[in-house]
Amino acid sequence: MKSRNKKECVAMLLAGGQGTRLGVLTHDVAKPAVPFGGKYRIIDFPLSNCINSGIDTIGVLTQYQPFELNQYIGNGQPWDLDRLSGGAYVLPPYVKGKEGEWYKGTANAIYQNINFIDRFNPEYVVVLSGDHIYKMDYDKMLAAHKAKGADCTIAVIGVTIEEASRFGIMNTDPDDRIFEFEEKPKQPKSTNASMGIYVFTWSVLRQYLIDDEADPKSQNDFGKNVIPKMLADGKKLYAYRFQGYWKDVGTISSLWEANMDLLNASSGLNLNDPSWKIYARNSAEPPHFAAGSAEIQNSIVSEGAMVLGSVKRSVVSHSAYIGLGAIIEDSVILPDAVIKAGAVVRHAIVAEGAVIGEGAKIGETQKAPVKGEWQIAVVGPGVKIAPSVVVAPAEMVKEDK
Amino acid sequence: MNGVMGVIFASDNENKLNELTIHRTTASLPFCGRYRLIDFTLSNFVNSGITQIGIVTRSNYSSLMDHIRMGRDWDLNRKNGGLSVFPPFVLNSSREMYKGKIEAIYSIQGFIRRSPEEYVLLSNSNIAMNIDFDEVMAAHLAAKADVTMLVHKAKTTTSRRLVVETQDGEVKDLYISVTPSSEDKLLGLNVYLIKKDLLLSLVEHEYARGHVDFEKDILMKQLGSIKMHPYLVKHHAAIVDDVRTYYNESMKVLDPAVREELFYGDSIIYTKVKDSVPTLYKENACVKNSLIADGCEIDGLVENSILFRGVKVEKGAEVRNSIIMEDGKVMENGSVCYAITDKNVTVTAGRTISGYESYPVVIVKDKTV
Repeated sequence: MKSRNKKECVAMLLAGGQGTRLGVLTHDVAKPAVPFGGKYRIIDFPLSNCINSGIDTIGVLTQYQPFELNQYIGNGQPWDLDRLSGGAYVLPPYVKGKEGEWYKGTANAIYQNINFIDRFNPEYVVVLSGDHIYKMDYDKMLAAHKAKGADCTIAVIGVTIEEASRFGIMNTDPDDRIFEFEEKPKQPKSTNASMGIYVFTWSVLRQYLIDDEADPKSQNDFGKNVIPKMLADGKKLYAYRFQGYWKDVGTISSLWEANMDLLNASSGLNLNDPSWKIYARNSAEPPHFAAGSAEIQNSIVSEGAMVLGSVKRSVVSHSAYIGLGAIIEDSVILPDAVIKAGAVVRHAIVAEGAVIGEGAKIGETQKAPVKGEWQIAVVGPGVKIAPSVVVAPAEMVKEDK
Repeated sequence: MNGVMGVIFASDNENKLNELTIHRTTASLPFCGRYRLIDFTLSNFVNSGITQIGIVTRSNYSSLMDHIRMGRDWDLNRKNGGLSVFPPFVLNSSREMYKGKIEAIYSIQGFIRRSPEEYVLLSNSNIAMNIDFDEVMAAHLAAKADVTMLVHKAKTTTSRRLVVETQDGEVKDLYISVTPSSEDKLLGLNVYLIKKDLLLSLVEHEYARGHVDFEKDILMKQLGSIKMHPYLVKHHAAIVDDVRTYYNESMKVLDPAVREELFYGDSIIYTKVKDSVPTLYKENACVKNSLIADGCEIDGLVENSILFRGVKVEKGAEVRNSIIMEDGKVMENGSVCYAITDKNVTVTAGRTISGYESYPVVIVKDKTV
């Protein structure tokens, strides 16, 4: 019987990660809610990719610090996800029958929402994570999944052999069928790194989730348990090769790098793309203002910002204030941050609402920086730095100083 | 304020705005880098809890419709109330577009009568300010007024303005001025709060006699017979009624104190969300004293100017004392000074456009220079 609520494909977005490696930036918010690129949050990327790919039903699985994320997603309207049928659903863990429990792992999070997915009776489920910056057409991946008649398709991106030992690596035959999965291998056999993006045939995944839950030894994780089990059972798992920009922004260093990639046309991260817009909840601010004393080059500046000082190779987010004579270089200034007159900020991330006092010095110019090991100083959300205080490179400031 | 509905007249002084309103109503005139004039009135209404709003249009209203759509960006897509847009209509008797606000109100009297609200706020759309109408209502009730008219202190110019003379907190005299004054006067902002029954009876009476002008045929005539209360708007209020006031009022917004009053007052000013990326400043960018919307790419010089969304200023190009509307492009070594370029205007490489401070040149939509 045809279900009137049927959706061919439903996306499940894992947004519960605590993001401990982002330290003070995720002290009060979940990682997907961390601001990015002047006016976005990380979760805008998977949400916008979904709607641009024609997927209009998305379950957002939250757990850690869900409040800000819930409020941000709201009814999904900024992403065109306020639908009569489907749309964006925020799915925190809840009490079922006598038992209630937290999401124990990525697979368990989906397992606990089997009923939600079943309501749409989908053929396919896309599982996404909320900590990557990339633009991707999931519909093409879904088409590849169908063409191969796969049970599971995993998006992979080519990395260098040196980087490969930091990723989950998919070893494939010439037809891209995965015969082996290795998590962070010391001696990688290939360079196909998993992007944490999966397309599953729902009927297959559903059974695996039930079996996985019944296994007391399982950690209920896709990478550690479900995928290896499917491989062992000879299920059809295929790699889908993605070409383009993709970055895991799970560390301070990579988050900073991804912001800097916005300034550099050759990075491949171009958000000014009318055919693939990244949507965000709008802050309703007037245009930004560059004062007579402002010097801004090689930077991006968003609405509501006020710049009186000098900004070089930096990202200035909406509603931020850069005072007279302040110098901002190679830094990311998050929304509502205030950099007072004469302060110097270099190689740093200044979080939402932080205030840097007059003449304070945050971070310093790097001597021969090593790619991937930037000494990024971080001033946490709402933290006040008193005038003339010095914050060392790579220091993470949690409290007023 | 559940007891008040709003009516906005989308067209005023369009003939004086020349090239800027060929393709649009005054209400949809782009303003301040990312707004349309009507955003201010709509946002003030919404922020004061006025959510039953009628917009009367006269002509060229497709750009207005494209801008406001279902009113979602102002939170006006409601089950109860929300936006009602009245397209241009031809009156049976005269076979022409409405000539004045009396005809316009008469034509939507059914809408006004059927709405459950007791009061009506009438507003022209050529006004940008940030105001809390709750305070206007409180003053109206305290003064036991029949009509409250919003006024501000300003000098008259050559454009047609209603001068309000007061005595003991009441309107004593009203007259139209078209000559410049050297000192500040109280000038009407064309925003009125009135009980709808009174409004409809006044309008019906004058309409039957063929009168069209709300200020002249109703307010001036009723002086002395109904109680008119002036409400002084102390914050910045911009009135745009010709190209010169459009230019001057735009440039005033470069002053941080004016922006503070306009954007950070009681109301959040909403507009249509376009999801542009933040603005990119390139290697050779040099931007001074300018208001820059999202989505721009700047590699040249911009000084004392306003750039709307998606404007490109290429290497060696110069933009001074100008307003460049959405998707404008100033190519390499092009130069724009004292100009207003409408949407999607391209100034090709090496070309110069130059007007005068007192007479800024206007380049119409979609033109390539």
